[in-house]
Amino acid sequence: MSRAASRAPGANKRLAEDGGASQSFLSSSLRKLSLQQSQQHDPQSASRPADSSSDICNVCKSSRYLNPNMRFLVNPECYHKMCESCVDRIFTHGPAPCPIAGCNKTLRKAKFRTQTFEDLKIEREVDIRRRVAKAMNKEESDFERLIDYNNYLETVEEITWNLILRIDVDETERKLRLWEDAQKAELNPNATFRRIADQPEASQLSEGSHVVLKKGGTQRKALAASSGNTPDPFAVDESGKRDTGFVFQGLKKRKAPPAEKPFDPFDGWSIEPQQYTLQEVHDYKWLTAYDSDPAYYVGGWDTRDYYSRMMEEAFGGMCVFLEDEKVRPLGSGSVEIGTQNAASVAQGMKDVVMDDVF
Amino acid sequence: MKLTEDVIYRNSSQFRNWSFTPTQLAELRLKTNIQACERVKANVARQRAQRAAIALDGGGASASDSERGNTPGLENGNGNENGNSNGGTPMRLDKEVDCLTVAEEMRLVDFCCETTIDLAKFIGLPSDVTATAVQFLRRFYLYNSPMTYDAPVVSRTITFIACKTDNANPNLDDYVAKLGKVTRDQILAPEYLIVQALRYNFEVRHPFRGLKGAHLELGEIARGAYTPVAPDTRTPSDLQAAITALPLPTSGAITDKKTISIENRLNNAYGFAANILKRTAQLTDAYFLFTPSQIMLASLLLADEPLTTFYLSTKLPSDSPTYTKLLTTLRSCAILFSSHRSYTSSTLSPEEQKAVKDKDKAEISALRKKLKNCRDPDKMDLVKLNQAQKRDAENASGGGLEESKAKRRKIAREKAEKEADDFWGPELGKK
Repeated sequence: MSRAASRAPGANKRLAEDGGASQSFLSSSLRKLSLQQSQQHDPQSASRPADSSSDICNVCKSSRYLNPNMRFLVNPECYHKMCESCVDRIFTHGPAPCPIAGCNKTLRKAKFRTQTFEDLKIEREVDIRRRVAKAMNKEESDFERLIDYNNYLETVEEITWNLILRIDVDETERKLRLWEDAQKAELNPNATFRRIADQPEASQLSEGSHVVLKKGGTQRKALAASSGNTPDPFAVDESGKRDTGFVFQGLKKRKAPPAEKPFDPFDGWSIEPQQYTLQEVHDYKWLTAYDSDPAYYVGGWDTRDYYSRMMEEAFGGMCVFLEDEKVRPLGSGSVEIGTQNAASVAQGMKDVVMDDVF
Repeated sequence: MKLTEDVIYRNSSQFRNWSFTPTQLAELRLKTNIQACERVKANVARQRAQRAAIALDGGGASASDSERGNTPGLENGNGNENGNSNGGTPMRLDKEVDCLTVAEEMRLVDFCCETTIDLAKFIGLPSDVTATAVQFLRRFYLYNSPMTYDAPVVSRTITFIACKTDNANPNLDDYVAKLGKVTRDQILAPEYLIVQALRYNFEVRHPFRGLKGAHLELGEIARGAYTPVAPDTRTPSDLQAAITALPLPTSGAITDKKTISIENRLNNAYGFAANILKRTAQLTDAYFLFTPSQIMLASLLLADEPLTTFYLSTKLPSDSPTYTKLLTTLRSCAILFSSHRSYTSSTLSPEEQKAVKDKDKAEISALRKKLKNCRDPDKMDLVKLNQAQKRDAENASGGGLEESKAKRRKIAREKAEKEADDFWGPELGKK
């Protein structure tokens, strides 16, 4: 745990800056760490002269001098650099072990990419941070108190550095995965998740073992039983609670947003006639003849619409008595104003002149 | 949040802007008449003063004519134009203008409505377009006087507008050709003015479609296939028995027969009511005073009273106050129809009809003669008024402003031409 102690200042600074880890800070802290640590874990020695390593492919030893268009790719599984043609050659037919001696990771072609940062350690740290940030995406508003949020950030930083510095990787990965599944289940409680076992850890493969291209069901089961690091998200522990990997104090329970109501184009209004009910479409030739006339039905003309309009006009305003309702103009004087305007426009000195559009 | 058919009607522009009580209607017409009279008198006085001044300067009628011809932009070209047209019978300076009264105005407008119906029939427009045109005309002359805008001129344009609002869509050239002696400009010039005066309320709610609906429901009752609305508990067969047992009307659609099948009875009532709606209802103030549903039911009441009261009793309980009130309203509307000339004229003999027609003719020509002396001189030539408003009016009143605008436009045009030239390169110099 001496390493954990050594990175404590970094974590504190993260807390202070509230997640604002700039790249310069990253690289400087990494450089500090790389000075402190032995180099045994590093996939590629950063101390090697940059120009020679970047110009010669470690697999086929061809150099940029002979092939100026050479591109180097890395796989986030092990971050070993190799040229594009090697990737094509080795991985076109499916997953294969990394050709670099001593690295037993199984690589897939789809995962190869050009590196973003010159320093592969930074490339790796950024990948890990991205992954952790995707899983641990709580905000301050999700917590009840600031101290809870800060504790959460502390935990996140610890996970991140555990992964970066390869401390307790299995346990951290397991917890992180459990947490991810718990989050997913919370977001969508109706979904069912089928856990597909991860590929076995590189350490478990013996030196000469063949690459596993596809895992059969028995194999998968055996792996799950033996390794114990493929967690079941639906496993329930003794206390009756689902194991979510991490437990945060003061984390508010997520409230599902209210279900969207079906769209109502009339905004709650409905036409409910009092004086008539629409009967079945009547058998009248002058009305029903339109139903079989293509000139009408092709355009969507419906006898029932016309029927309903007829009835609405027959009784619309039947019980509106103008001598009662028009005594004082509704809308208090709007009619008067309109009258004045209309009169002055019609009789006045000038009609409304349209603006010159030119 | 329920909308009944009455609420829907109350939201229409017809209810909001074009429905009145009888007193409101009379007041409005009086007000319009007074305003129009004042305008006419003021304009005529101004014009006379102008002419007198010119006459004093020139020293003679012929000289003043030439003077007028040479100075079109003096104050108002249209006033001068009017002076020219009335040149033969110059108005005396001291004589007070004899304006039309409200009743005379209404008489003229009513007559114009009749001619509009005849004109639309001649052109071959459907009856709902005709009705819209007539209602537009009536609405227009609610806020305007025939002294200001001449009714026949307005009616031509209004019929054209009604065609457009009711999807009849005539070609303007065809329309003009059918009318004869009218130019396109004469139709189009007052269009904007009219539409303004109608306050852009293009929807007229007619009772025709409602009458069809009522006819349909009555037919259903007669067939025994109609279930009444909530408070009425009678079964369809009860209603069928009731409708066949109704006594025959004493007046209206069927008076000569002792017995008639229920189907024929309904058809007769429909035809009779539809005729009332097409002509009499258009020529009265019914659209201003009643709702289209009431107009429809009133016409049905005139056609077949027992049938209509029975039909109403299926809609409203007969002992409710609304029912009594509705029936009173319908009867007052029916009286409005039955007292109109067009309703009673069908019962007259041909000689009597001819006598009435001749009397009308004499009356109208007298009114038009009177109108000729009290027209508003400013609004005589609508085509010129319209042109003066247009963009490139040559002799518009605000001369200075127009000039600067014209200059600006000319510069812009030249610049555009120049740029077009630049695009294709400068012209090759001639050797």
